[in-house]
Amino acid sequence: MSSVKGCNIPDDLYYNVDSNVWARKEADGTVTIGMTAYAAALAGQVVSCTPKKVGRSVEQNKSAATVESGKWVGPVKAPVSGEVVAVNDALSSAPGTINSDPYGSGWMVKMKPANWDADSAALVTGGAVAAAFEAKMNAEGFAGCGA
Amino acid sequence: MNHWRVIDTGLRPAAQNIALNRALLEARQAEEIPSTLRFLRFTPSALLGYHQSAEQELNLDYCREHGIAVQRRITGGGAIYFDETQIGWELYLHKRDLGTADMQRISRRICHAAATAISALGVDARFRPRNDIEVDGRKISGTGGAFDGDALMFQGTLLIEFDVEKMLRVLRIPAEKLSDKAIASARERVANLRDLLGRRPDAALIRSNMVEAFESEFGVEFGDGDLTLSEDQRYRAALREIDHPDWVGLVNRPVADMPILEAAQKFAGGLLRAAVTFDVQTQTLRQVWFTGDFFANPRRAVADLEAALRDLPLARLEQKVEWFFASRAVDMLTLTPADFVAVVRLALKQPLLASNP
Repeated sequence: MSSVKGCNIPDDLYYNVDSNVWARKEADGTVTIGMTAYAAALAGQVVSCTPKKVGRSVEQNKSAATVESGKWVGPVKAPVSGEVVAVNDALSSAPGTINSDPYGSGWMVKMKPANWDADSAALVTGGAVAAAFEAKMNAEGFAGCGA
Repeated sequence: MNHWRVIDTGLRPAAQNIALNRALLEARQAEEIPSTLRFLRFTPSALLGYHQSAEQELNLDYCREHGIAVQRRITGGGAIYFDETQIGWELYLHKRDLGTADMQRISRRICHAAATAISALGVDARFRPRNDIEVDGRKISGTGGAFDGDALMFQGTLLIEFDVEKMLRVLRIPAEKLSDKAIASARERVANLRDLLGRRPDAALIRSNMVEAFESEFGVEFGDGDLTLSEDQRYRAALREIDHPDWVGLVNRPVADMPILEAAQKFAGGLLRAAVTFDVQTQTLRQVWFTGDFFANPRRAVADLEAALRDLPLARLEQKVEWFFASRAVDMLTLTPADFVAVVRLALKQPLLASNP
Protein backbone atom coordinates (compact mmCIF):
# COMPACT_ATOMS: atom_id res chain seq x y z
CA MET A 1 0.00 0.00 0.00
CA SER A 2 1.34 3.38 -0.90
CA SER A 3 -0.24 6.81 -1.06
CA VAL A 4 0.87 9.66 -3.33
CA LYS A 5 -0.76 13.08 -2.79
CA GLY A 6 -3.72 11.33 -1.19
CA CYS A 7 -4.13 8.85 -4.10
CA ASN A 8 -3.85 5.16 -3.31
CA ILE A 9 -1.11 3.70 -5.56
CA PRO A 10 -0.30 0.17 -4.29
CA ASP A 11 3.39 -0.64 -4.79
CA ASP A 12 2.83 -4.35 -5.42
CA LEU A 13 1.21 -3.65 -8.81
CA TYR A 14 2.93 -2.93 -12.15
CA TYR A 15 2.30 0.46 -13.77
CA ASN A 16 2.63 2.22 -17.07
CA VAL A 17 2.93 5.65 -15.50
CA ASP A 18 2.40 7.60 -18.78
CA SER A 19 -0.82 5.72 -19.54
CA ASN A 20 -1.88 5.81 -15.87
CA VAL A 21 -2.82 2.12 -15.84
CA TRP A 22 -1.97 -0.85 -13.58
CA ALA A 23 -1.39 -4.55 -14.14
CA ARG A 24 -1.44 -7.43 -11.64
CA LYS A 25 0.04 -10.84 -12.44
CA GLU A 26 -2.38 -13.44 -11.11
CA ALA A 27 -1.51 -16.93 -9.82
CA ASP A 28 -3.13 -18.51 -12.90
CA GLY A 29 -0.81 -16.60 -15.24
CA THR A 30 -3.41 -14.07 -16.40
CA VAL A 31 -2.90 -10.33 -15.99
CA THR A 32 -5.64 -8.10 -14.59
CA ILE A 33 -5.60 -4.45 -15.70
CA GLY A 34 -7.37 -1.22 -14.78
CA MET A 35 -7.09 2.55 -14.27
CA THR A 36 -5.14 4.01 -11.35
CA ALA A 37 -6.79 6.02 -8.58
CA TYR A 38 -4.97 9.05 -10.03
CA ALA A 39 -6.40 8.44 -13.52
CA ALA A 40 -9.88 8.10 -11.98
CA ALA A 41 -9.43 11.39 -10.12
CA LEU A 42 -8.41 13.18 -13.34
CA ALA A 43 -11.37 11.69 -15.22
CA GLY A 44 -14.00 12.42 -12.59
CA GLN A 45 -17.05 10.18 -12.21
CA VAL A 46 -16.88 7.43 -14.86
CA VAL A 47 -20.30 6.94 -16.53
CA SER A 48 -19.48 4.28 -19.15
CA CYS A 49 -16.81 1.66 -19.72
CA THR A 50 -16.62 -0.56 -22.81
CA PRO A 51 -13.87 -3.20 -22.67
CA LYS A 52 -12.54 -4.96 -25.75
CA LYS A 53 -14.32 -8.26 -26.30
CA VAL A 54 -13.07 -11.60 -24.97
CA GLY A 55 -10.86 -13.28 -27.56
CA ARG A 56 -9.50 -10.03 -28.98
CA SER A 57 -5.75 -9.50 -29.04
CA VAL A 58 -4.49 -6.17 -27.79
CA GLU A 59 -0.98 -4.87 -28.28
CA GLN A 60 0.91 -3.20 -25.47
CA ASN A 61 -0.10 0.50 -25.18
CA LYS A 62 -3.15 0.03 -27.39
CA SER A 63 -6.70 0.46 -26.15
CA ALA A 64 -8.06 -2.37 -23.97
CA ALA A 65 -11.19 -0.45 -22.93
CA THR A 66 -12.88 2.89 -23.57
CA VAL A 67 -14.15 5.01 -20.69
CA GLU A 68 -16.40 8.08 -20.55
CA SER A 69 -16.60 10.73 -17.83
CA GLY A 70 -18.00 14.25 -17.95
CA LYS A 71 -18.57 13.82 -21.71
CA TRP A 72 -14.87 12.98 -22.25
CA VAL A 73 -14.09 9.69 -23.99
CA GLY A 74 -10.69 8.04 -24.05
CA PRO A 75 -8.83 4.74 -24.11
CA VAL A 76 -7.43 2.68 -21.25
CA LYS A 77 -4.19 1.37 -22.69
CA ALA A 78 -3.06 -2.20 -22.12
CA PRO A 79 0.17 -2.26 -20.04
CA VAL A 80 1.15 -5.55 -21.77
CA SER A 81 0.29 -7.32 -25.03
CA GLY A 82 -2.05 -10.28 -24.93
CA GLU A 83 -5.46 -11.76 -25.51
CA VAL A 84 -8.51 -10.58 -23.57
CA VAL A 85 -9.75 -13.63 -21.60
CA ALA A 86 -12.30 -11.93 -19.31
CA VAL A 87 -14.01 -8.56 -18.96
CA ASN A 88 -15.61 -7.07 -15.87
CA ASP A 89 -19.29 -7.17 -16.86
CA ALA A 90 -20.31 -5.56 -13.57
CA LEU A 91 -18.90 -2.24 -14.83
CA SER A 92 -21.67 -1.85 -17.41
CA SER A 93 -24.27 -1.47 -14.66
CA ALA A 94 -21.97 0.19 -12.09
CA PRO A 95 -19.16 2.10 -13.89
CA GLY A 96 -18.66 4.28 -10.80
CA THR A 97 -16.85 1.30 -9.24
CA ILE A 98 -13.83 2.43 -11.26
CA ASN A 99 -13.69 5.54 -9.06
CA SER A 100 -14.57 3.89 -5.75
CA ASP A 101 -12.45 0.72 -6.00
CA PRO A 102 -10.01 1.09 -8.93
CA TYR A 103 -7.75 -1.86 -7.96
CA GLY A 104 -10.48 -4.21 -6.75
CA SER A 105 -14.00 -4.47 -8.13
CA GLY A 106 -13.17 -1.67 -10.63
CA TRP A 107 -10.81 -3.93 -12.65
CA MET A 108 -11.47 -3.78 -16.41
CA VAL A 109 -10.11 -6.77 -18.30
CA LYS A 110 -8.01 -9.89 -17.71
CA MET A 111 -5.50 -10.76 -20.38
CA LYS A 112 -3.44 -13.81 -21.22
CA PRO A 113 -0.11 -12.04 -21.65
CA ALA A 114 1.85 -12.70 -24.85
CA ASN A 115 5.18 -12.09 -23.18
CA TRP A 116 4.88 -10.93 -19.60
CA ASP A 117 8.60 -10.98 -18.82
CA ALA A 118 9.55 -8.73 -21.74
CA ASP A 119 6.55 -6.41 -21.54
CA SER A 120 6.61 -6.00 -17.74
CA ALA A 121 10.24 -4.90 -17.88
CA ALA A 122 8.94 -1.56 -19.20
CA LEU A 123 6.57 -1.16 -16.23
CA VAL A 124 7.26 0.43 -12.84
CA THR A 125 6.73 -1.55 -9.64
CA GLY A 126 7.78 -1.68 -5.97
CA GLY A 127 9.84 1.09 -4.43
CA ALA A 128 9.99 3.18 -7.63
CA VAL A 129 6.22 3.60 -7.89
CA ALA A 130 5.66 6.49 -5.48
CA ALA A 131 8.39 8.70 -6.92
CA ALA A 132 7.27 8.06 -10.50
CA PHE A 133 3.67 9.07 -9.77
CA GLU A 134 4.70 12.04 -7.66
CA ALA A 135 6.78 13.35 -10.58
CA LYS A 136 3.86 12.80 -12.97
CA MET A 137 1.42 14.58 -10.64
CA ASN A 138 3.78 17.53 -10.23
CA ALA A 139 4.29 17.82 -13.98
CA GLU A 140 0.52 17.77 -14.48
CA GLY A 141 -0.20 20.37 -11.81
CA PHE A 142 -2.26 17.94 -9.73
CA ALA A 143 -3.19 19.08 -6.21
CA GLY A 144 -4.15 15.64 -4.91
CA CYS A 145 -6.91 13.04 -4.69
CA GLY A 146 -9.80 14.53 -2.73
CA ALA A 147 -8.27 18.02 -3.03
CA MET B 1 4.83 33.04 -29.11
CA ASN B 2 3.33 29.70 -30.06
CA HIS B 3 1.67 29.46 -33.45
CA TRP B 4 -1.49 27.43 -33.76
CA ARG B 5 -3.51 26.66 -36.87
CA VAL B 6 -7.10 27.47 -37.77
CA ILE B 7 -8.91 25.51 -40.47
CA ASP B 8 -12.44 25.46 -41.83
CA THR B 9 -13.47 22.15 -43.37
CA GLY B 10 -16.83 23.49 -44.60
CA LEU B 11 -20.15 21.68 -44.97
CA ARG B 12 -19.77 17.88 -44.90
CA PRO B 13 -21.72 14.70 -44.15
CA ALA B 14 -21.37 13.38 -40.60
CA ALA B 15 -19.13 10.42 -41.52
CA GLN B 16 -16.53 12.77 -43.01
CA ASN B 17 -16.66 15.12 -40.05
CA ILE B 18 -16.24 12.31 -37.50
CA ALA B 19 -13.45 10.72 -39.57
CA LEU B 20 -11.70 14.10 -39.50
CA ASN B 21 -12.10 14.13 -35.68
CA ARG B 22 -10.24 10.84 -35.51
CA ALA B 23 -7.61 11.88 -38.08
CA LEU B 24 -6.76 15.22 -36.48
CA LEU B 25 -6.67 13.77 -32.96
CA GLU B 26 -4.28 11.04 -34.15
CA ALA B 27 -2.16 13.56 -36.04
CA ARG B 28 -1.97 15.82 -32.97
CA GLN B 29 -0.99 12.82 -30.80
CA ALA B 30 1.76 11.94 -33.32
CA GLU B 31 2.98 15.58 -33.21
CA GLU B 32 2.44 15.85 -36.98
CA ILE B 33 0.32 19.00 -36.65
CA PRO B 34 0.27 22.05 -34.40
CA SER B 35 -2.59 22.64 -31.99
CA THR B 36 -5.57 23.47 -34.15
CA LEU B 37 -8.92 25.25 -34.10
CA ARG B 38 -11.32 23.73 -36.62
CA PHE B 39 -14.67 25.08 -37.80
CA LEU B 40 -17.10 22.64 -39.39
CA ARG B 41 -20.68 22.27 -40.52
CA PHE B 42 -22.94 19.25 -41.01
CA THR B 43 -25.52 18.17 -43.55
CA PRO B 44 -28.55 16.90 -41.53
CA SER B 45 -27.25 14.32 -39.04
CA ALA B 46 -28.29 12.57 -35.85
CA LEU B 47 -25.11 12.15 -33.81
CA LEU B 48 -24.88 9.60 -31.02
CA GLY B 49 -22.53 9.92 -28.09
CA TYR B 50 -19.73 7.33 -28.24
CA HIS B 51 -21.38 4.97 -25.75
CA GLN B 52 -24.96 5.33 -26.99
CA SER B 53 -27.17 2.96 -28.95
CA ALA B 54 -29.10 4.28 -31.97
CA GLU B 55 -32.20 2.18 -31.21
CA GLN B 56 -32.42 3.60 -27.71
CA GLU B 57 -31.76 7.23 -28.53
CA LEU B 58 -33.21 8.00 -31.96
CA ASN B 59 -36.42 7.87 -33.96
CA LEU B 60 -34.78 5.88 -36.73
CA ASP B 61 -37.91 5.82 -38.91
CA TYR B 62 -38.04 9.61 -38.89
CA CYS B 63 -34.32 9.83 -39.70
CA ARG B 64 -34.74 7.45 -42.65
CA GLU B 65 -37.82 9.22 -44.01
CA HIS B 66 -36.12 12.61 -43.85
CA GLY B 67 -32.70 11.65 -45.14
CA ILE B 68 -30.98 12.33 -41.83
CA ALA B 69 -27.66 10.50 -41.51
CA VAL B 70 -27.11 8.54 -38.28
CA GLN B 71 -23.54 8.61 -37.01
CA ARG B 72 -21.55 7.92 -33.86
CA ARG B 73 -19.24 10.58 -32.41
CA ILE B 74 -15.86 9.76 -30.88
CA THR B 75 -16.83 12.07 -27.98
CA GLY B 76 -19.12 11.44 -25.02
CA GLY B 77 -22.45 12.88 -23.97
CA GLY B 78 -25.92 12.56 -25.47
CA ALA B 79 -27.45 12.30 -28.93
CA ILE B 80 -27.87 15.57 -30.83
CA TYR B 81 -29.30 16.74 -34.12
CA PHE B 82 -26.80 18.72 -36.19
CA ASP B 83 -27.59 20.49 -39.47
CA GLU B 84 -26.77 23.62 -41.46
CA THR B 85 -28.40 25.85 -38.80
CA GLN B 86 -25.45 25.28 -36.46
CA ILE B 87 -21.70 25.84 -36.56
CA GLY B 88 -19.25 23.38 -35.02
CA TRP B 89 -15.99 24.43 -33.38
CA GLU B 90 -13.22 22.13 -32.18
CA LEU B 91 -9.84 22.44 -30.52
CA TYR B 92 -7.08 19.85 -30.96
CA LEU B 93 -4.53 20.33 -28.21
CA HIS B 94 -1.58 18.73 -26.45
CA LYS B 95 -1.81 18.33 -22.68
CA ARG B 96 1.20 20.61 -22.28
CA ASP B 97 -0.89 23.45 -23.79
CA LEU B 98 -3.15 23.23 -20.75
CA GLY B 99 -0.95 22.84 -17.65
CA THR B 100 -3.39 20.34 -16.17
CA ALA B 101 -4.60 16.83 -16.88
CA ASP B 102 -7.83 17.31 -14.91
CA MET B 103 -10.57 16.79 -17.50
CA GLN B 104 -13.17 18.97 -15.75
CA ARG B 105 -10.74 21.87 -15.48
CA ILE B 106 -9.87 21.53 -19.16
CA SER B 107 -13.57 21.62 -20.14
CA ARG B 108 -14.16 24.67 -17.95
CA ARG B 109 -11.24 26.60 -19.35
CA ILE B 110 -12.15 25.98 -22.99
CA CYS B 111 -15.85 26.71 -22.38
CA HIS B 112 -15.05 29.98 -20.61
CA ALA B 113 -13.04 31.13 -23.63
CA ALA B 114 -15.79 30.03 -26.05
CA ALA B 115 -18.37 31.89 -23.94
CA THR B 116 -16.23 35.03 -24.17
CA ALA B 117 -16.19 34.69 -27.95
CA ILE B 118 -19.97 34.25 -28.14
CA SER B 119 -20.53 37.15 -25.74
CA ALA B 120 -18.48 39.43 -28.00
CA LEU B 121 -21.30 39.10 -30.55
CA GLY B 122 -23.51 41.02 -28.13
CA VAL B 123 -25.11 38.39 -25.88
CA ASP B 124 -24.35 37.33 -22.30
CA ALA B 125 -22.99 33.78 -22.77
CA ARG B 126 -21.70 31.84 -19.78
CA PHE B 127 -20.30 28.40 -19.02
CA ARG B 128 -22.73 26.16 -17.16
CA PRO B 129 -21.25 23.06 -15.52
CA ARG B 130 -20.80 20.45 -16.60
CA ASN B 131 -20.46 21.10 -20.30
CA ASP B 132 -22.84 23.68 -21.72
CA ILE B 133 -22.67 27.36 -22.62
CA GLU B 134 -25.86 29.27 -21.90
CA VAL B 135 -27.44 32.68 -22.44
CA ASP B 136 -29.87 33.55 -19.61
CA GLY B 137 -30.26 29.89 -18.71
CA ARG B 138 -30.85 28.80 -22.33
CA LYS B 139 -28.39 26.47 -24.01
CA ILE B 140 -26.52 27.99 -26.96
CA SER B 141 -23.60 25.55 -27.18
CA GLY B 142 -23.20 21.93 -26.07
CA THR B 143 -19.76 20.37 -25.84
CA GLY B 144 -17.84 17.11 -25.44
CA GLY B 145 -14.31 15.76 -25.71
CA ALA B 146 -12.06 12.86 -26.61
CA PHE B 147 -8.44 12.16 -25.70
CA ASP B 148 -5.72 9.77 -26.71
CA GLY B 149 -2.42 9.78 -24.88
CA ASP B 150 -1.27 13.39 -24.59
CA ALA B 151 -3.59 14.74 -27.29
CA LEU B 152 -7.16 15.84 -26.80
CA MET B 153 -10.01 17.16 -28.87
CA PHE B 154 -12.78 19.31 -27.46
CA GLN B 155 -15.79 20.17 -29.59
CA GLY B 156 -18.85 22.35 -29.34
CA THR B 157 -21.93 23.35 -31.28
CA LEU B 158 -23.15 26.90 -31.73
CA LEU B 159 -26.86 27.36 -32.44
CA ILE B 160 -27.52 29.98 -35.11
CA GLU B 161 -31.14 29.34 -36.15
CA PHE B 162 -31.70 25.87 -34.80
CA ASP B 163 -34.99 24.02 -35.38
CA VAL B 164 -35.95 22.65 -31.94
CA GLU B 165 -38.97 20.79 -33.29
CA LYS B 166 -36.82 18.88 -35.77
CA MET B 167 -34.42 17.92 -32.97
CA LEU B 168 -37.32 16.58 -30.89
CA ARG B 169 -38.58 14.51 -33.82
CA VAL B 170 -35.13 13.01 -34.40
CA LEU B 171 -34.78 11.88 -30.79
CA ARG B 172 -36.72 9.02 -29.20
CA ILE B 173 -39.17 10.80 -26.90
CA PRO B 174 -42.80 10.32 -25.86
CA ALA B 175 -45.33 11.41 -28.48
CA GLU B 176 -46.98 14.01 -26.24
CA LYS B 177 -43.69 15.92 -26.10
CA LEU B 178 -44.38 16.84 -29.73
CA SER B 179 -47.49 18.88 -28.88
CA ASP B 180 -47.31 22.60 -29.71
CA LYS B 181 -47.14 23.43 -26.02
CA ALA B 182 -44.35 20.94 -25.35
CA ILE B 183 -42.36 22.17 -28.34
CA ALA B 184 -42.78 25.78 -27.17
CA SER B 185 -41.53 24.73 -23.74
CA ALA B 186 -38.47 22.99 -25.25
CA ARG B 187 -37.74 26.15 -27.26
CA GLU B 188 -37.50 28.09 -24.01
CA ARG B 189 -34.51 25.96 -23.00
CA VAL B 190 -32.55 26.76 -26.17
CA ALA B 191 -31.03 30.03 -27.40
CA ASN B 192 -30.55 30.78 -31.08
CA LEU B 193 -28.08 33.50 -31.98
CA ARG B 194 -30.39 34.78 -34.71
CA ASP B 195 -33.26 35.30 -32.23
CA LEU B 196 -31.01 36.90 -29.63
CA LEU B 197 -29.42 39.32 -32.09
CA GLY B 198 -32.49 39.95 -34.24
CA ARG B 199 -30.46 39.15 -37.35
CA ARG B 200 -28.37 36.35 -38.79
CA PRO B 201 -24.87 36.68 -37.29
CA ASP B 202 -21.93 37.02 -39.64
CA ALA B 203 -20.11 33.67 -39.82
CA ALA B 204 -16.75 35.38 -40.37
CA LEU B 205 -17.27 37.44 -37.23
CA ILE B 206 -18.07 34.32 -35.19
CA ARG B 207 -14.85 32.72 -36.44
CA SER B 208 -12.70 35.77 -35.70
CA ASN B 209 -14.19 36.13 -32.21
CA MET B 210 -13.42 32.47 -31.48
CA VAL B 211 -9.87 32.88 -32.78
CA GLU B 212 -9.31 35.98 -30.62
CA ALA B 213 -10.78 34.40 -27.50
CA PHE B 214 -8.61 31.28 -27.77
CA GLU B 215 -5.51 33.35 -28.66
CA SER B 216 -6.04 35.37 -25.52
CA GLU B 217 -6.84 32.35 -23.32
CA PHE B 218 -3.78 30.34 -24.38
CA GLY B 219 -1.35 33.17 -25.23
CA VAL B 220 -0.90 31.98 -28.81
CA GLU B 221 -1.31 33.30 -32.34
CA PHE B 222 -3.44 31.52 -34.96
CA GLY B 223 -2.58 31.28 -38.63
CA ASP B 224 -4.85 29.98 -41.40
CA GLY B 225 -4.00 26.51 -42.65
CA ASP B 226 -5.21 23.52 -44.64
CA LEU B 227 -5.31 19.80 -44.00
CA THR B 228 -1.84 18.28 -44.31
CA LEU B 229 -0.94 15.21 -46.33
CA SER B 230 -0.60 13.09 -43.19
CA GLU B 231 -4.01 14.24 -41.96
CA ASP B 232 -5.50 13.38 -45.32
CA GLN B 233 -4.02 9.87 -45.18
CA ARG B 234 -5.27 9.35 -41.63
CA TYR B 235 -8.65 10.75 -42.67
CA ARG B 236 -9.03 8.25 -45.52
CA ALA B 237 -8.22 5.35 -43.21
CA ALA B 238 -10.61 6.64 -40.52
CA LEU B 239 -13.39 7.18 -43.06
CA ARG B 240 -13.24 3.51 -44.12
CA GLU B 241 -13.97 2.52 -40.52
CA ILE B 242 -16.47 5.25 -39.62
CA ASP B 243 -18.53 5.40 -42.81
CA HIS B 244 -19.70 1.84 -42.07
CA PRO B 245 -22.67 0.22 -40.30
CA ASP B 246 -20.33 -1.58 -37.86
CA TRP B 247 -19.14 1.76 -36.47
CA VAL B 248 -22.65 3.16 -36.12
CA GLY B 249 -23.75 -0.14 -34.51
CA LEU B 250 -20.70 -0.38 -32.26
CA VAL B 251 -22.95 -0.07 -29.21
CA ASN B 252 -26.24 -1.81 -29.83
CA ARG B 253 -28.57 -2.16 -26.87
CA PRO B 254 -32.24 -3.12 -27.15
CA VAL B 255 -34.97 -0.56 -26.64
CA ALA B 256 -36.37 -2.87 -23.94
CA ASP B 257 -33.38 -1.99 -21.74
CA MET B 258 -34.42 1.65 -21.86
CA PRO B 259 -38.23 1.80 -21.77
CA ILE B 260 -40.24 5.00 -21.73
CA LEU B 261 -42.53 4.62 -18.70
CA GLU B 262 -45.53 6.84 -18.04
CA ALA B 263 -47.92 7.62 -15.21
CA ALA B 264 -50.50 10.24 -14.24
CA GLN B 265 -51.60 11.16 -10.76
CA LYS B 266 -54.14 13.63 -9.38
CA PHE B 267 -52.86 15.86 -6.59
CA ALA B 268 -54.50 18.72 -4.68
CA GLY B 269 -52.53 21.08 -6.92
CA GLY B 270 -53.62 19.48 -10.19
CA LEU B 271 -53.06 16.55 -12.53
CA LEU B 272 -49.41 15.66 -13.08
CA ARG B 273 -48.13 13.29 -15.77
CA ALA B 274 -44.59 11.96 -15.99
CA ALA B 275 -42.87 10.14 -18.83
CA VAL B 276 -39.50 8.65 -17.92
CA THR B 277 -36.78 7.16 -20.12
CA PHE B 278 -35.24 4.72 -17.67
CA ASP B 279 -31.94 2.90 -18.09
CA VAL B 280 -32.77 -0.43 -16.47
CA GLN B 281 -29.19 -1.65 -16.37
CA THR B 282 -27.72 1.31 -14.47
CA GLN B 283 -31.00 2.27 -12.70
CA THR B 284 -30.63 5.78 -14.05
CA LEU B 285 -33.27 8.31 -15.09
CA ARG B 286 -32.06 9.26 -18.54
CA GLN B 287 -34.77 11.81 -19.13
CA VAL B 288 -38.01 12.86 -17.46
CA TRP B 289 -40.88 14.88 -18.97
CA PHE B 290 -43.69 16.46 -16.98
CA THR B 291 -47.02 17.46 -18.47
CA GLY B 292 -50.53 17.77 -17.07
CA ASP B 293 -52.96 20.30 -15.76
CA PHE B 294 -51.22 22.35 -13.11
CA PHE B 295 -49.92 25.86 -12.49
CA ALA B 296 -46.20 26.72 -12.31
CA ASN B 297 -44.61 30.14 -12.43
CA PRO B 298 -42.14 30.78 -13.95
CA ARG B 299 -43.34 28.41 -16.66
CA ARG B 300 -39.83 27.34 -17.60
CA ALA B 301 -39.29 25.92 -14.10
CA VAL B 302 -40.71 22.61 -15.33
CA ALA B 303 -38.25 22.47 -18.23
CA ASP B 304 -35.44 23.36 -15.83
CA LEU B 305 -36.51 20.56 -13.48
CA GLU B 306 -36.51 18.14 -16.43
CA ALA B 307 -32.96 19.26 -17.27
CA ALA B 308 -31.86 18.83 -13.63
CA LEU B 309 -33.11 15.24 -13.64
CA ARG B 310 -31.22 14.16 -16.78
CA ASP B 311 -28.90 11.16 -16.30
CA LEU B 312 -29.72 11.01 -12.61
CA PRO B 313 -29.23 7.78 -10.62
CA LEU B 314 -32.67 6.83 -9.34
CA ALA B 315 -31.37 6.67 -5.78
CA ARG B 316 -30.76 10.44 -5.87
CA LEU B 317 -34.22 11.47 -7.14
CA GLU B 318 -35.67 12.75 -3.85
CA GLN B 319 -32.50 14.64 -2.96
CA LYS B 320 -32.28 16.28 -6.39
CA VAL B 321 -35.92 17.41 -6.52
CA GLU B 322 -35.65 18.81 -2.99
CA TRP B 323 -32.48 20.70 -3.94
CA PHE B 324 -34.08 22.02 -7.12
CA PHE B 325 -37.06 23.61 -5.41
CA ALA B 326 -34.98 24.84 -2.45
CA SER B 327 -32.58 26.67 -4.77
CA ARG B 328 -35.14 28.85 -6.63
CA ALA B 329 -38.53 30.49 -6.22
CA VAL B 330 -41.27 28.58 -8.05
CA ASP B 331 -44.96 29.29 -7.45
CA MET B 332 -47.00 26.10 -7.93
CA LEU B 333 -50.04 26.90 -5.75
CA THR B 334 -50.64 23.69 -3.78
CA LEU B 335 -48.55 21.34 -5.94
CA THR B 336 -45.49 20.20 -3.93
CA PRO B 337 -41.98 18.96 -4.79
CA ALA B 338 -42.98 15.59 -3.30
CA ASP B 339 -45.74 15.31 -5.94
CA PHE B 340 -43.13 15.36 -8.72
CA VAL B 341 -41.19 12.59 -6.97
CA ALA B 342 -44.38 10.58 -6.43
CA VAL B 343 -45.44 10.62 -10.10
CA VAL B 344 -41.95 9.61 -11.29
CA ARG B 345 -41.90 6.75 -8.79
CA LEU B 346 -45.36 5.71 -10.00
CA ALA B 347 -44.17 5.66 -13.63
CA LEU B 348 -41.27 3.38 -12.68
CA LYS B 349 -43.70 0.84 -11.24
CA GLN B 350 -45.17 0.19 -14.70
CA PRO B 351 -45.27 -3.49 -15.80
CA LEU B 352 -42.63 -3.03 -18.53
CA LEU B 353 -40.02 -2.44 -15.84
CA ALA B 354 -40.89 -5.66 -14.03
CA SER B 355 -40.33 -7.63 -17.24
CA ASN B 356 -36.77 -6.25 -17.53
CA PRO B 357 -35.06 -7.42 -14.35
